[in-house]
Amino acid sequence: MSGLLGQINPGLLLVIVGFAGCLIPAQRVRQALMVATPVVAMILLALAERGTDLAVTSVLDLELVFYRVDSLSFIFGLAFLIAAFLNAIYALHTDDRLQDGMALAYAGAAVSATFAGDLMTLFIFWEITAVSSVFLILRAGTKAAYQAAMRYLGVQIFSGVLLLDGLAYVYKSTGSLSLEAFTSFDQPGAKFIFAAFAIKAAFPFLHNWLQDAYPKATVIGAVVLSAFTTKLAVYAFARMFPGFEILIWIGAIMTVFPVFFAVIENDLRKVLSYSLNNQLGFMICAIGIGTPLAINGAAAHAFAHIIYKGLLFMSMGAVLYRVGTAKASELGGLYKSMPWTTIFCIIGAVSISAFPLFSGFVAKAMTMSAVAKEGYIIVWLILLFASAGVLEHSGIKIPYFTFFGHDSGKRVKEAPFNMLLAMGMASFICIAIGLPTIGGFGYGWLYDMLPCTATAPADVCSISDKEIKPYAPYTVDHVLTQLQLLMFAVLAFILLKRFGLYPPEKPGTILDTDWLYRKPGYGMVKWAGTVWGKTGPAMTSFFAGLGARTFEKIETTFSPRGALARGPLTVSMAMWSAVLLGIVMLVVLLAR
Amino acid sequence: MNVPPERDSSGRFVKPEQEAPKPSDENMHPMSKLLFGWVGSPRTPLILLVLVIVICAGLVVFDLTVNRHEYLDFANANGFYALWGFAAFALAVLSGWPLGKLLRRDEDYYGEAETTPQDVESDS
Repeated sequence: MSGLLGQINPGLLLVIVGFAGCLIPAQRVRQALMVATPVVAMILLALAERGTDLAVTSVLDLELVFYRVDSLSFIFGLAFLIAAFLNAIYALHTDDRLQDGMALAYAGAAVSATFAGDLMTLFIFWEITAVSSVFLILRAGTKAAYQAAMRYLGVQIFSGVLLLDGLAYVYKSTGSLSLEAFTSFDQPGAKFIFAAFAIKAAFPFLHNWLQDAYPKATVIGAVVLSAFTTKLAVYAFARMFPGFEILIWIGAIMTVFPVFFAVIENDLRKVLSYSLNNQLGFMICAIGIGTPLAINGAAAHAFAHIIYKGLLFMSMGAVLYRVGTAKASELGGLYKSMPWTTIFCIIGAVSISAFPLFSGFVAKAMTMSAVAKEGYIIVWLILLFASAGVLEHSGIKIPYFTFFGHDSGKRVKEAPFNMLLAMGMASFICIAIGLPTIGGFGYGWLYDMLPCTATAPADVCSISDKEIKPYAPYTVDHVLTQLQLLMFAVLAFILLKRFGLYPPEKPGTILDTDWLYRKPGYGMVKWAGTVWGKTGPAMTSFFAGLGARTFEKIETTFSPRGALARGPLTVSMAMWSAVLLGIVMLVVLLAR
Repeated sequence: MNVPPERDSSGRFVKPEQEAPKPSDENMHPMSKLLFGWVGSPRTPLILLVLVIVICAGLVVFDLTVNRHEYLDFANANGFYALWGFAAFALAVLSGWPLGKLLRRDEDYYGEAETTPQDVESDS
């Protein structure tokens, strides 16, 4: 029995129940399904056998592997399922069929893509994540959300098209669709697939869809969106591009530039979106390093990040839900009315800042060590800078300007119980996987799930160095240095605030590189449209006139009433036959 | 002492500007009083500053007693992380002044000032 159950892809279950959920009008029944399905899926995942193709089907001569679990996909898949469970609880206070169903289907598509055993299956679910998630933005119901959703959908579908293009090259050259890691960009399809992943992972200059769409999504939508798409891309990179040096530098840049945008951004959900981008940078950088320690670092970071970033989005969602805005300039002093939300937000904030005893500390440590160990000094310094930056925007700015700081005088109700429950559970995980291991409880649980172990198959850790020492995050050195970094950054905050050097929170739109296509790009398209609108009819009438005149000329010459048809028919026919014959003979003569 | 009432340019009396009333703490959540009652105290900022300075000093002093073994030699210097953390944070925050001037536009710049999603049920 367990053998059969172990062959059902848990993600597919989520997708089916999710789509069915859109049709169930009874709120309680639907929501019970939404909460229960991820739990069932986790049980199914636990029963699955590792390292074999569990569900194979053949379509048009292609062998599709719908379900394959190994140590790398397991940790990502589990994190997605936990997130789906927490999100379903977080959404219990609303009655929105479409949103409930699509949130689950979206999570399911991400899980299915993670457990895909070939490129075509990955592509199918890659596209389902795009199509299902867009509803979470659309349901916000504003014009801005609608427009952002269309931009989001366009970008996501384009990523899918690139992936399809790449997999066609791979299939043509190798005859298989395996998810084997690339070794160089010269391999057929590698560049296309890299670009497809790069869009979803929000690489610099390809990142705007994230900060554009997430803050405009619904309260619940932003929480759901934060978990899946980008981490699926991180998984895909870890699977197919480990050890590509360019990822180290791209990752480093990704950690830095969002820091500066997050400092001046007023919409706190957008600050969190920039912060999400910065966190992805750490993971991408680790994948670029590609050693077992680094891959473990990326996986651990992704797991911890899915939970604490979800928690932070949940807390800002609760504030938005109660206050009606998530703009820093309009918030402040909310600790007086939302104490529980305050506590959970602070737990998320210290987790993402990587304070000892919290999940970020045990996860990020591996990446930092791996970068230092491989001797990338500049990259390491950049990541260290970005670590202080994380503390600035997610560790301090988010909780300080929302719950403390200048009292906005807003007195609201505490968040609904289901929101608090979801935040409480996420907080518990943030602490539980961050504590030193005592009696089987603590970070050991997370570390036991990491992909690169001594027994890991070669397709997970493609690096020949299989000697993996267990990593110990709680050394005196590490705790001391991390506390130094963070406490001096906190000191800097207090001093800057005290001397009035901290820039005030001001309402406004912060320009990012999406300005290029939203202003000049859009302007050019609009201009081209206007020009075409005017020249099109003019050109049509010009060509129509030209055609009519030509026809008229031909008709006056060749038609039965034309010039050539005048005079006795036989005479002109005989004459023209003689002329044509003469020409043919001349040609034959000359051709000799 | 009697302050003569202010007049505007046309000679009308002008009411002195009243300070905005301080938000009341009457409706404070009971849990807030328990957990964060100390936040509102006027002495809190100073106490926090002193506390953080003491912790920071302690960390640097403690660093003197530890012989660290970093992969990168320069990171072994005492207080390297402290300096880097302070400088990085200050740089990130201070860059907010020029960047804000450079990049901040009107809220309706893209014609999307209204972004409050419909599933919000605010009571403020």
